Amino acid sequence: MILPVSNLTKTEQIPFNSQNPREEKPSPYDKDTLLKNNFSNRMRIGIDKFAKAFTIYPARGMKGSTNSNFYEYLTMGSNVPSIIGSIILITIFNSYKNYAQSDKIGAAKIGNKMALGVIFYSLFKSLSKSLITYPVKMKTGIDTEIPYAKVNYQLQEKPGDYDLTSIEYHKIGESVDFTRWDLLYGDVNKNESPNFRYDKIAKKNGLGENLTDSDQEVKPIYKEVLVKSALAKSFASYMWAATGVALAFQDCWQDYFNVATLKIWKPREFFHSIKIFARSFVKSISSLYKGPETAASKFSKYSGKALIGVTILSTLAGMFNAMHITKKPSKITAKDVMNKNKESVVN
Amino acid sequence: MNLIQSYKPETTYRPPIKSPHKPDGNFDVNQELLNHTFIRPLPAHGKLVKNGLFEIPSEFIKDVRYDYRALKHSIKGEANDHELGRLNDMGMKLGGLAIATYLFSRKSTPLTKIMEFVGLTSFFAAMDLWPKIALQLPAYLIHGFNIRQKYTDNYGRKKMVYLDHQFIPWDLYSDKEINKIGDRLHVPKDIPNRREFIQEKMRKIALQNNTMWMLTAGFATPIMSALICNALENPIRKIQDSRLNKKANNLLINFNEETQKINFKDNVNQLDEILTQNKGQTITPELFNRICKNMTQNLDPAIAQYFEADLKNLIPNIRNYNIRQETINHVHTKLMEHFSQSELPENVINEIIPDVQTLTQMLREKNGLSDNAQDVSEYSKYVQNFISERINKYIQENPNSITGKKLLFHFKKFIHSQSYAQSSGLNAAFKHKSAAVLTEPLTEEIKNISKVLNTFKAQVKVLDKYAFIKAAEAPETIHANIWNLDLCNDLLKVFNFTPEEIKRSRLEPEIAGKILREKMEDIVSDDTKYTKFLDTMNHKLSKMYNKMESIDLSATNNTNTYINCTNTSYDTAAESLRKLRMPQTADIIAGYQGTGAGEAGKFCVKYSQLGFMENSNTALKSSMYRLFNTMSVFRKISKLPQTGSDILDYQDGKPILRQVKEEMIEAIKELLISGHASDYANKLYVLRSLDVNPEDIVKDFNLKTPEEKERIMKELTEQIETQKGKVINKYLGTKNPAEMKELSNDYNFFKRIMKYIYEERIDEQTEEKCKNSVFWKDFTEYRKDALDVLGGDFNFAKPGFVVNNVVESTSERRFIRTGSALDEMFYKLTKQEFNNKYWLKKFGRFGIGLIAVTVIAQFFTGRMPKIHQQEGK
Repeated sequence: MILPVSNLTKTEQIPFNSQNPREEKPSPYDKDTLLKNNFSNRMRIGIDKFAKAFTIYPARGMKGSTNSNFYEYLTMGSNVPSIIGSIILITIFNSYKNYAQSDKIGAAKIGNKMALGVIFYSLFKSLSKSLITYPVKMKTGIDTEIPYAKVNYQLQEKPGDYDLTSIEYHKIGESVDFTRWDLLYGDVNKNESPNFRYDKIAKKNGLGENLTDSDQEVKPIYKEVLVKSALAKSFASYMWAATGVALAFQDCWQDYFNVATLKIWKPREFFHSIKIFARSFVKSISSLYKGPETAASKFSKYSGKALIGVTILSTLAGMFNAMHITKKPSKITAKDVMNKNKESVVN
Repeated sequence: MNLIQSYKPETTYRPPIKSPHKPDGNFDVNQELLNHTFIRPLPAHGKLVKNGLFEIPSEFIKDVRYDYRALKHSIKGEANDHELGRLNDMGMKLGGLAIATYLFSRKSTPLTKIMEFVGLTSFFAAMDLWPKIALQLPAYLIHGFNIRQKYTDNYGRKKMVYLDHQFIPWDLYSDKEINKIGDRLHVPKDIPNRREFIQEKMRKIALQNNTMWMLTAGFATPIMSALICNALENPIRKIQDSRLNKKANNLLINFNEETQKINFKDNVNQLDEILTQNKGQTITPELFNRICKNMTQNLDPAIAQYFEADLKNLIPNIRNYNIRQETINHVHTKLMEHFSQSELPENVINEIIPDVQTLTQMLREKNGLSDNAQDVSEYSKYVQNFISERINKYIQENPNSITGKKLLFHFKKFIHSQSYAQSSGLNAAFKHKSAAVLTEPLTEEIKNISKVLNTFKAQVKVLDKYAFIKAAEAPETIHANIWNLDLCNDLLKVFNFTPEEIKRSRLEPEIAGKILREKMEDIVSDDTKYTKFLDTMNHKLSKMYNKMESIDLSATNNTNTYINCTNTSYDTAAESLRKLRMPQTADIIAGYQGTGAGEAGKFCVKYSQLGFMENSNTALKSSMYRLFNTMSVFRKISKLPQTGSDILDYQDGKPILRQVKEEMIEAIKELLISGHASDYANKLYVLRSLDVNPEDIVKDFNLKTPEEKERIMKELTEQIETQKGKVINKYLGTKNPAEMKELSNDYNFFKRIMKYIYEERIDEQTEEKCKNSVFWKDFTEYRKDALDVLGGDFNFAKPGFVVNNVVESTSERRFIRTGSALDEMFYKLTKQEFNNKYWLKKFGRFGIGLIAVTVIAQFFTGRMPKIHQQEGK
């Protein structure tokens, strides 16, 4: 990376804005760095992406900056429309402030369910991915969600632009075509074996131990798991989201809506509402499964069961497909192919 | 794919050189690598996707194929990033479909069910349409190029050209195309590196639009989706209405086929099983109940009740008993059970209660055992006497023992019934086994009855289905749709309600009534407005009449009308059942034999079946006729000073005081606007002035000269005055309400009110305009019937006040004829309108604002920094 050349030293730079160029924030990473897939990292990355998706990235995109890249576009795409959309959806269904009192009651019943449906949609969609990730990780040793920090060097747009690094958070297996295999190698400076991560996966999948090139053996497996997990998550997560919406539409939630409060400074009411929420949640599962008592048709009676069934089935099918590895290298060695005792003719 | 750095094997072989401009269908990488002369990037095969209408179907098929392949690849774990991205979209759509399907299953009416899928489709449509309408189109019009241009790459993957502005495949655009866009972007023609400058400008515009898309999609998609749903609701309702109507009509057109579709197979099999299993067996109460329950399933409860009685009569000896060994054993067991609960010594009980042999012997000797005993009391008496004697003997032998008294007490308990019409314990024990037996002929008879009943039940089911679709008081029935789509859809416009008036009227019926009255008075006072109103209502009422007529398929189109089908089904069933010795059931189904359709014939279920539809039709028509009649009466009142009225102006040939006329007119208007059926009976209060005679009004009236009296009387009985449809009251409202009273003995006051509303000739202009319309006759009948049932009720106004003659009717009939109170009707209409408009106004404005912002923002996109511009110049 060739950085812009300045004939002024940092102390001689003439500031044209109030920001003191000497107060540069140190970059947390000096090169692309593999991160641990733990709760704190996930939270940190989520918050970072969320905050930037609403601030820096749109500002850069609206300016038409050459440094606005596809990562920023995708980060905006996965945060801004869904969050604003959810808020707007909730607002649309709850716009009954000026209705007559009698209408408000009816509208509130539907509005509350819709709002809960929107929230459950996002929650179920997001949480359900773990139903694929963790079992697959346990079975194959492949964590499809390992994050890494990418140090991105930007182009200088103005003469005063010297802070030209930006950190992006990606996942190792984000792309199945360009998986960051390089980051999975161990750091010899830290006394890590170069292939120690690949070794673990190889061992877990029965490829053997002390392999000379475990990385080459594991990569096809890794890719297969990535593809199959992505497929499973694509279908199962949306089915779980649908189940979430269906749960929110059960009548038993009215008990919760009657006492719902977010006033945490009133602990008694707040915790009571949490208790009722939990109770309503359990009831909603039972209600979705059993169907309405006075169902007009069999379709109406069993649609909840069918939805739950399809959701669980799609999750299990996706999960088992992801666990079922077909790209294992053949265990047949050269000596098995060539029978030295047999006569052979070489042309 | 760049092959420059690829490994180049050493060889002396030189394959023939091929022109790079002519791509070979049988491309071979190795052969290309061996070609020393032409090692270069492979020619790109990407191309821009045409967006013509004709390409859409082929593009769609290509997409489906691609998705299918992507799915296959990813199941095998071989998919690429692009394919996985497409599958994620597919997952999202399937999830959406799952939500819509579940919600569809939970909705009860066809429209709400369909709207779930409309909602889903509109959401995805909005996601797709928003960037096209708010970004792509304005950008194209302003900048001259498609910012959402798609292309297919070498591998046939469809992508957006400007998705990633750092990797735009510019080579897909020729110089000519780029220059043309540059001209539209007003890029000077003579600058160096013009193409690069234009590309940079295009890149910037595309990036800015992509960012705007991300920022606005969250606002736009839900709002646009909701607006699409809102706009589509009524057209879908109309389509749905026509579909439903056709479906219902087909039920009657193919009445026999539809009936045959409904079989009670399970029911029939169950009955067969019961009858086969119990063939030749005694018909116990349990067995009788099982048979009866099976046969009356899905039957009207009233019919079921009479059916049970008929079935009992049908079974021979069902009320007689079998007094044989089994019954005697049972009697003995019951006796032992009863006395063993009494805590008496066992030996005493055994001494008193005869054993089975003794009982059998005694009964055989006394009365003889029977298979078909009509009365069990004789048997019971013998046993009673026998035990009684033993107890007496025991008491005599043990006079001081309490056991004897206890024995007597418990025995009396067993031989006396606990309550009226209930058998004593002993009698009940003798009634253990019925004398009725399920014989072969009886089985056949029951099966025949069941067959008739099942056919009848199927027919009723089809008729009920038809009646529900057409006229049930439920959402989305044909009636509801006529009311919502044809009759009330523009009533607020017809009466010129302003948004402010709508806002106030929706609060409560009283406010709506007051505003409506003002509106009505305004329209009737203006010839042009009233003519326009008449035109609208004439059209509406004619349409309503025609639609209501078609609810019962007219005989000219098909003979299977609802009335015919109902009559045939009920009468046939009744006739068959009568032949099968089920007279009471036949009577309750189709009326007493011989009474026909007369009054007595109405006490049957057939009448309810017919009445349901008739009442529903009448109720709907009455509401609209009431509105029309009210306007006509208001019009007459506004013209009263010119035309006069026999009913309001004179009583027994004498002129009525203006004061009374003013009170009557006020009552007429109030009653028409807010009167309910119950208001016409007993409650019809009108607070009036106590001064009802000239002597009360004018001081020393009797002392005046005849000339003066005549002048005063002329003044007091003058005609009312009206202005802009309102009555200018001279007397009404001048008195303190505390001094006013209900003059409940003024029979004529109420009578005249009713006659003026329903009997006096309708306004001339109205009649002229509508007398040839299809509904006119029906409307005049409505007026007559309303006067009869409301004014002919014994309790009309006050007990004993009847307008003409007492007419027998029911509260339901009066309710149906009164129709909807106008203030309530308009209260509901304004409420609905306000809620819809409020929502539309709020989000429609927001949507328009959002589009405006995105369009205006287009003018600020693609601005190049000065340094570039200078370079360009």
